[in-house]
Amino acid sequence: MLKETIEIKNRLGIHARPAATIAQEACKYSSDIFIIKDGMEVNAKSIMGIMMLAAEQGSSIELCINGRDEENALCALRGVFSKIFEEE
Amino acid sequence: MIIVKGISASPGIAIGPAYIVKPDNTVIEKRRIPSTNTVWELRRFEEAVEKSMADLDASEAQVKSLLGSKYSKVINAHKLILKDPLLISAVKNKITNEQLSAEYALSVCVKEITSRFENLKEELFRERKYDLADVAKRLFENLTKKKQNKFSAIKEPSIIIAHNLFPSDTINLKSKNVLGFATDIGGKTSHTAILAQSMQMPAVVGLSDASLQIRDGDLIILDGETGVIIINPEPKILQDYKKEQIKISEAEQSLKNISSLPNETVDGHKVALYINYDPRRDVKAWDSFQSDGLGLLRTEFIYMDRFDPPGEEEQYQIYKKTAQKFGKRPVTIRLADLGGDKITQLGLGRREKESNPFMGCRGIRLFLKYPELMFTQIKAIVRTSAEVDCPVKIMIPMVSYAEEIREVKKVLKEIVREFSSNGIIPRHPLELGAMIEVPSAALSLDGILPEVDFVSIGTNDLIQYLIAVDRVNQEVADLYDPYHPAVLRTINFIIQGCRKKGKPVSICGEMASDPEMIPFLVGLGIDILSLSPRMFLRIKSVLRKLNFKDCANLAQAALLMTSSEEIENLTDNFPLSSD
Repeated sequence: MLKETIEIKNRLGIHARPAATIAQEACKYSSDIFIIKDGMEVNAKSIMGIMMLAAEQGSSIELCINGRDEENALCALRGVFSKIFEEE
Repeated sequence: MIIVKGISASPGIAIGPAYIVKPDNTVIEKRRIPSTNTVWELRRFEEAVEKSMADLDASEAQVKSLLGSKYSKVINAHKLILKDPLLISAVKNKITNEQLSAEYALSVCVKEITSRFENLKEELFRERKYDLADVAKRLFENLTKKKQNKFSAIKEPSIIIAHNLFPSDTINLKSKNVLGFATDIGGKTSHTAILAQSMQMPAVVGLSDASLQIRDGDLIILDGETGVIIINPEPKILQDYKKEQIKISEAEQSLKNISSLPNETVDGHKVALYINYDPRRDVKAWDSFQSDGLGLLRTEFIYMDRFDPPGEEEQYQIYKKTAQKFGKRPVTIRLADLGGDKITQLGLGRREKESNPFMGCRGIRLFLKYPELMFTQIKAIVRTSAEVDCPVKIMIPMVSYAEEIREVKKVLKEIVREFSSNGIIPRHPLELGAMIEVPSAALSLDGILPEVDFVSIGTNDLIQYLIAVDRVNQEVADLYDPYHPAVLRTINFIIQGCRKKGKPVSICGEMASDPEMIPFLVGLGIDILSLSPRMFLRIKSVLRKLNFKDCANLAQAALLMTSSEEIENLTDNFPLSSD
C-alpha cells in the first residue's frame, strides 16, 4: 500500500474539470485508490466523490493506493495533479 | 385562442398540432425481491448501465458533429457518472444486501447523492445534481424499457410541448415529424436552445406553465421570431401567420441568391460587412456567408460556466480553428469582456459583489487588475497569428483612458518579442484597436487614436452609458433608445474623428444589425459593419438597395434633429431604391 500527501496548489482547487481528469486516470488502474481529506474518504475513481471533497487551495489530501499496479498508478496520478496545478 | 409569451430560443415559425410530452411522474415502488433473484436483478441493472453507456456514446458522436467538442464534454461527464462507483456500486450493494429492486435501489442512491450535492457551498457544484438527474433518468428508462424514444409515437408533423427537454432529448427531435418545440422552462442560452438553433428548428422556451394549458392535438402557432405561442388561433391570425411563413421562406431563398454579390450600394459605395462570432457556436451555415472578415470574436464566452479560466493552449486551439475558417480575411479577437452582466466565477479570489457592475471592474479594467488573465489570452492570440494566413487584430473592450491601451501595448510588445526569439513570429503585424463604448473615450478620441490602428464602436454599451440606463433593469429598459439624438451625434463624432486621422472604424453593436439604422450609418461614412450572423444576409440586402447620396443627406438631416421621435420617423420613411 502506497500513501502520499498532496497539497492542493492551484488557486481554484479540485473543481469539476480536475475531478473528471483524476477519475478518468484512476479508472485505468486495477488498484484500489482512495483520496482522504479531513477524515472523509472517497474513491478516486468516482468523479462525484472527488467533487464532494471540495478540496480548495492550500488544503491537503492523502492518496492511498493498494494493488498490483499501485506504483504505476501513483506515478500517473502525481503527473495528473502536477498538471492540474500547472494549469494556472 | 390563447397567446402565451415566452422567450425566443430559435427563430422561424411553425404551425401544427401539439404533441404533449408528459412529465415523468412515475412513482417508484419500494419493492423487495426474493434473495434467489438478486443475481438476476443485478444482471438487469448491469444491462441498463451498458445500454445507457452505448446511448451516451451515440449522443457524444452526434453532439460532436452538430455542435463541436466543447458540448460533447458534457456527455463525457455523464459517462464518468455512469461509471462512478459511488452510484453504481452503491446500487449493486443495495440490490444484493437489502434485496431491493434495481429501480428502487437506484432511486434511493440518487436521492442520497443529490442531497449531498445540495449541501455543497458553491452553486456550480450544487448544479451537478442535474447531470446526475439526466444520467439517472436514462438508467431508469433503460431499466423499465419504457422510453424507446418518446417521440417515435408522433404520427404527423407536430409541435412538441414539454415542461422541460434535456439536451439529450433535443437531439432526438431531428426528425421530419417535429416542426418545432416549446417548453415551460429554459433560457435563450441554454444548451437546448443552442441545439435548436443549430438544427434550424423554431423554438420558444420559458413559457411558465403553458404545457398544462395545451392539450394533445390543439392547433399551435409557434413564433420563434417574437417568442410567443398561440393556442387554437382564430382563422384570421392563422391566415396571417401562414402568409408570414411563406414570406420568411421566400426571403431566405432570395437572400441566399445575393451571397456572392458585392457589399455595396446601388451607386457603388462599398461598406465592408464583417461577422460577429460566438466561439461556443460553430454553425456550418455561417461559413457560407461571404463576409469580409470577422469583426468581433466574443472570447468572454470561453470563460463562462466554469471554475478556472481557459489556459493558453485551449484558447490557442479555439482561435486557430476559428481564424482558419476565414482564410486570408482579417479576424478581430476581442480581449475577454468579463464582468458587467457577464458575471463569471473564475475564482479570482475574494471579489466584492459590485453594487453597480456596469460601472465596475469589467473589460480591460478587470484584465489590468488580474494581469495573468491578460497574459494568457494575448499569448494565445500571438501564437495564433504565427500560425494562420489572415491578419489577426486585437480589440480592447471598455477603454476609458488612453493609458489602458498603452498598458496592453506594453504587454503585447513583450509577448511578441519573447515569442519571436523562439521563432514564433506573427505572419502579419498584429493590429491593436479600441472599443469605443464609454463616453469619455468617445469625447477624448483624439487622445486615443494615436495609440491604435483601428476603432470599433460598441453601441450597446455606448447607448447605455450615454443615456445612463441599465438595459437589464425592467424599470428603465424602455428608456434605452438607439434613436436618441445624443447617440447619433456621438457616433458621428467618432466616425468623423477617425476619418480625419485615416483610422478605420467599424460598428459591432446591435445597431449595425438593425435594418432601419443602416441608411444612417452608411450615410455617416462607416467603413465596416460587423453583424450578428442571423442578420448578415438581411443587412446585406438592405445595403444593396441603398443610394449612398440619399443616405448622406438622411444622416445630415438626422443630426440636426432634437428628438428620437423625429429621427425615427425620418428613418422609417426612408425609401429604398428598389421599392
